[in-house]
Amino acid sequence: MRSSVSYILSHAPGESVMSHPDYAQHAQHHACLLVLVKGIGGVLKNFNKLWERIQRVNNIKVTDSSGQVRDIWVRYVRDYPVENNDWGDFQTHRRLLGLITLSKFANQIELNEVCRVHESLKVKYSNTLYDSRAFMFGPGSNLKKPEQEPETYSFYEDDKTKEKTSLSDRISLPSEAADSLSSCDSIGQSSSSTYSVQEENFTTPSNFKTHALFYGENDPVPDLEQHVAELINSLFWVVESKRLERSREKLEKVSLLLAPFEKRDFVGLDMESRNNKKRCMGRVTKNLADLTLQAGLVPEALSLYNSAGEILKSVNDWLWLGAAKEGHCVTSAIIQYPHLRNSTPLQRNASLQESSPNKTKPLSLYQPSSEPYRKFKLNFSPLKTSKTSSPINAPNELTPSSSESIETSSRQSETDNADTESLASSTDIEYQSQKSYLSPDLPSIPRQPTSIHTMYLLSGEEIAEKYRKATIHYSKYQNAGIIETEACFKAARIAVEQNNTLRASSFLQNVIFINLTLSEQEKIQRFDTLAELYKEIGFLRKAAFCQRLAATRQVSANNPNPDWPRCYHLMLHSFPGHKISLDPNYAVQHQVGWPALQIQLLHELVVAARRMGHPALATRHMTFLLQTMWPHLSRQEHRDLAIQLQALSAQCEGGPVPLVLETGEVIPPANLTHVPTCLYFNPRPLPPARTPHLIKSKSNQGPFIFTPIHFGSLERKTKKDEGKMEYLWVEDDICEVQMKLTNPLPFELKVSNMRLLTSGVVFESIPETIILPPDSPTTVNLHGTPKEVGELLILGYSTHTLGVKSNCRLKNMPMPHKFPSAFSIEVIPSLPKISIETTLTLSGNVNLSNPEISASVTNISLYNGESTECTIKITNTSNVAIEYLELLIQSNMDNQLQRKVFQWSNEEIQSQLPIKPNDVALIPITLYGEADFLDLGGENIFPNSLTSNYPSRVGSPVPNAQTSLPTQSSNQQNSLSSGLMVNRTSGSFRSSNSQTTSWSAPLSIMPPSRGRQIETQIILRYSGGAGKDMHCRQSTLQMNLELLPSVSITHWDVLPAEIPSQLYLVLDITNLTNEEMDFEYAPSKHILIEGKESCRVPVPLDRCPFTSTAVKIEDADSMEPKSISTGTSINSLEVMCSEHLTKNVDLKWHLLQSNINGRASVKGITLSQSMMDIVRMSPLNWEVSLNKQYIKPQEEYNCTAGECLFLGVAVSNHLKRPLHKLCLSVQFYQDYNNGVRNYKLDNRVATAGNNKVVLTTLSESAKAYHECTVVFLTPGEYKIDIQCSTTEPILDEVSVAKDLPSVQSCAEEISHTWRFIPPVAISVTD
Amino acid sequence: MAVCVAVIGKDNSPLYIGGTGNDTSTDNELSRQWLVHTALDALEERLASTNNTNLNSSANASRTELRDLYLGLLYSTDTHKIYGYVTNTRIKLVLVTSSTSPSGSNIRDAEVRTALRRLHALYADAICNPFHLPGDQITSTKFDKQVKSLIMNNV
Repeated sequence: MRSSVSYILSHAPGESVMSHPDYAQHAQHHACLLVLVKGIGGVLKNFNKLWERIQRVNNIKVTDSSGQVRDIWVRYVRDYPVENNDWGDFQTHRRLLGLITLSKFANQIELNEVCRVHESLKVKYSNTLYDSRAFMFGPGSNLKKPEQEPETYSFYEDDKTKEKTSLSDRISLPSEAADSLSSCDSIGQSSSSTYSVQEENFTTPSNFKTHALFYGENDPVPDLEQHVAELINSLFWVVESKRLERSREKLEKVSLLLAPFEKRDFVGLDMESRNNKKRCMGRVTKNLADLTLQAGLVPEALSLYNSAGEILKSVNDWLWLGAAKEGHCVTSAIIQYPHLRNSTPLQRNASLQESSPNKTKPLSLYQPSSEPYRKFKLNFSPLKTSKTSSPINAPNELTPSSSESIETSSRQSETDNADTESLASSTDIEYQSQKSYLSPDLPSIPRQPTSIHTMYLLSGEEIAEKYRKATIHYSKYQNAGIIETEACFKAARIAVEQNNTLRASSFLQNVIFINLTLSEQEKIQRFDTLAELYKEIGFLRKAAFCQRLAATRQVSANNPNPDWPRCYHLMLHSFPGHKISLDPNYAVQHQVGWPALQIQLLHELVVAARRMGHPALATRHMTFLLQTMWPHLSRQEHRDLAIQLQALSAQCEGGPVPLVLETGEVIPPANLTHVPTCLYFNPRPLPPARTPHLIKSKSNQGPFIFTPIHFGSLERKTKKDEGKMEYLWVEDDICEVQMKLTNPLPFELKVSNMRLLTSGVVFESIPETIILPPDSPTTVNLHGTPKEVGELLILGYSTHTLGVKSNCRLKNMPMPHKFPSAFSIEVIPSLPKISIETTLTLSGNVNLSNPEISASVTNISLYNGESTECTIKITNTSNVAIEYLELLIQSNMDNQLQRKVFQWSNEEIQSQLPIKPNDVALIPITLYGEADFLDLGGENIFPNSLTSNYPSRVGSPVPNAQTSLPTQSSNQQNSLSSGLMVNRTSGSFRSSNSQTTSWSAPLSIMPPSRGRQIETQIILRYSGGAGKDMHCRQSTLQMNLELLPSVSITHWDVLPAEIPSQLYLVLDITNLTNEEMDFEYAPSKHILIEGKESCRVPVPLDRCPFTSTAVKIEDADSMEPKSISTGTSINSLEVMCSEHLTKNVDLKWHLLQSNINGRASVKGITLSQSMMDIVRMSPLNWEVSLNKQYIKPQEEYNCTAGECLFLGVAVSNHLKRPLHKLCLSVQFYQDYNNGVRNYKLDNRVATAGNNKVVLTTLSESAKAYHECTVVFLTPGEYKIDIQCSTTEPILDEVSVAKDLPSVQSCAEEISHTWRFIPPVAISVTD
Repeated sequence: MAVCVAVIGKDNSPLYIGGTGNDTSTDNELSRQWLVHTALDALEERLASTNNTNLNSSANASRTELRDLYLGLLYSTDTHKIYGYVTNTRIKLVLVTSSTSPSGSNIRDAEVRTALRRLHALYADAICNPFHLPGDQITSTKFDKQVKSLIMNNV
């Protein structure tokens, strides 16, 4: 775009180069009257408000002399460089036409000063200034308002008229001169008039000759708009007069208008040349077009610009041609895009309302001294009429934005845009209808009828193209650089309006190329404006780039007064362009943008913030940089940045609170989640000792512990809440969250004040300080105590490291580690805590158990049969009373055995409840080394040699197979049954303790010769407080019980005693200990057994009575189900006998060395049939007599061969029922004592009488007697076997006792035989 | 003389930025990035506008008509000119020439076009690597070398 002929026509910088570009200029400002609004004197409180109100009066409608309504627009500026004023000939909108000062004074001196400043301002812009107003605010309301006398006003009018007439001769002067002169000349009159109205306290200085308006400082100034409108009105008339003046000029005579720098160019040129004439004409036409545009005749301006352009093109006056083209474009744009002008003021309507209701009386210190328009008014008669009407009309004709029509405008604010459109179009029509009103007055200027203004109206494309050309023309002049720059901005703004962003960007791009010698501040402003426009067209990156450039310029070395805050804000505002969000979480989750640039920008931002003197911001941004750019930084950069951050935070610590800037921007907190990096975060359940359990466990749904099948439910689809924890935490109890942290920095990192972030119930977190070595994962446990019951949400943790406090929330954690957004844990009411101590009475084994450790182990050794007392001491260490306590024992023993080993009283436990805080409860438990002392089966350590030596067994005849069970077989049977028992108990054991399968093998009654290990868990379930009905705690006490062998009974037998009601139980006792043992087997009967020795002891016992025990056995049966399995009645009898023995045998042992007492029992002893006969009281009482002499047991009877012996056998029934079909038989035999018995004694013995008698019935308590005679023929040892057998099923004795009627004679076989024991032995001698 | 070549992904993330320069200091690298980054605005706008016109014209014109991949000069600064090229998969190739050096100031449009076409081909080759994940930064040394030679040779 930039012409290659640039600089060809350029000159060295002239003296009056416009050097202050006005970047805020818009195209529509070409049509505006420029008014300076300035605050002078003291600082006015409500200056900004007044400024806004003035700004709102930017458009008034004036009816001109021909009755046409003119739309006059005003541009207010706060500051205007005089140099730019010099360009007023080139483009008339650059002229400052009006001045409004807002001033405050407190006393006369200040007032004088204010007046002086005002006047000096007037002088400053004297070249162009047409009119001014001074709004003066006195001290408070004490300022007396001068009375507004109508006559005074009329007087002024008269006075004015006079002075105007006196000045009328000056009208012919060029307008600039007239302006300046009028202001100078009018001093005299205005001063005189001012005095009279000045109120008594203050007087304006004599040289002050401005239309001043006085108010109290806090007055609402209701007529502000009115006065401003008046000023504009007056300005309009001046401009209009100028326009008319210009339009009437003779084209041949016009002087050459010059841009400021052109003055030297035309020195020595032929001013009279045709070319030059044309140049003058073109320039004047262009000037007229400017004025026409300003005067509100837009369509006329269009055609004027066009013709000016044509004239100038022909003379190659590039600069002015460019201006004409620009004017053409601008005018077209104003027509095409009318809302360019309207949008700004209309938006502010709402705020206007507050000032309107205060309808105070309009105050007007009317000082119509030197208003230039009055002069013109007097001179131009057609205008005079309109002028007189204008003060009245003007307010009424204000646009909807002015005060008069506030009500309607605010009401219609929604339809404002529509209104504007219609307004614009209506003005258009207006113009068209009144097109010809000027033509008769302006014959000298080439004019086109306005009806064809559309011919010159440029389309959007044409505007852009023409603007492009205009800038090219401008670019040929170095001194017009600022004009070009402004033109580019204006063109860009139009392009924005056209929605053509590429075109806008090309115009903006052009700005870069314009080489201007600008102050640093203006360069910054240029970039700022560029950025703003780029932003408008959506080129955010460009905008950001420009903003960053502007920011760096702010603080560049060339800049004499670096402005760090501005720099900072510019940088901050370039964030969107760099795709940085201020919210670090967003930035972390959406990694967008160019990291290298973002890092650079953030670095610069940190520096700016630091230099700005806002260390908190610097820390914040540094944290942000480290947090968001972490993945893009190298390790070395991590380290450097961390160190920098540490240095920054030393000045101001970073905290997790949003920072609010003065501008109202909020910098959200940045949290360091990378330093340290969290690899693992999980709340832990309470340790087992403190875990709450449900008091009543839920019933199991089925036999399966786990099933993958969910029948007919949708549950499998609803995923479980990830963060919901299955366990419970307890109020007032320390809970724990386990984390794994890594320090990614290469130096040691101290993280202090680590806490948990929670919501939900109140939670007291315990701060933790850790030092993390570089690059090694460290496990950290954070603790805290929930203080309420309910749901606790764990949201994350907070850290304090590198001087920055961070709240690291799980949901914001960087991606690689997936955490749920929160962990949710239910907190239940507080439960008591206990500590447990166990004390053993005997060995004094004190075991202090730590409640934290679930299984504190107590080891106890017991000899079989030994018993000891163990006390469990429970101390309530919490503040909650224990109201529920239950003791359970789990072991690898079956329940029965366990019940025997551990004995305690539940009542005693319950009686101690409740246990108050810090109270102690004692639970005594008796431990007993339960064992089977009978040594059975194949594990015999001692040889079985003793067995066969029992006389009873040796000597007993074997009449049938059933009765003669050898000991060995009885042992086998016993071992069989015990084996059965093992199996069965193991089964029941498993079913009852299915969860503890770790035990290797169920222990049952085992051979006592080996030591046994019993692992026991004593489980204490306790609860209290509010949650006692639902939950309890469980403490487990591990107790390892070692049962040592003490004594064992390897063999046993029974012998009849001397008295028939008694018997001897003969036991082989083995001392399995290594010590000498004092064994007491009967009251006052002791025996000492050496260690590992055995000895045989006879235990005298009463024989087993049958009736009474039968009932007992019944009880025992129901109690001990194991005897059922052995089911037959033989066994039930046997059990009865065994039970009898067990009950009556009281074996005690005492280890002499270690002074340990214990007991032993013969429980489970098995008896053969023959043994049972001895043990049991016989149902038949024998009375055997030889030769009328009763035979005593063990007594030997002597006789000689051939001697006749009378053998009398009396049998009496001791049963409580009659016996039937008894067969009493007497048999003689010889026992060879080598196991052979000789029953064939045919030639040795002769008997007379029956040796077999059948008794059909033997009723109860009856006695039967049988007698026979026997003669021994040869000497020798004879024995008589006397027995009584029955075919009746006497074995069912017990059941028969129960159901007598069902007595039935069964088969002929002999069902039971009673013998007279011992057999009668007779030695026959010769 | 080309100063820098950049490959930018469809989400406007930088995939590759390579360039030659007298010095390879980070400042140089950064300034290149600034240049290319700010070019993205114009590039996107250009794309959007061509798309719109395409859409408008697609009513009558056949869809087979392909958009020209070469976008031409995106913008220029005092020292650099930035050219753009967009593949059909919205991968943006940006070439920066220096307007200060004699060889770069009068570079022809056609030269830039061919250079960018070749860069496209090189990019396609680099992407063909089965171990390359589309959207990742291009780290291939071969690509780098080829691009460097392209910069040196061609322009």
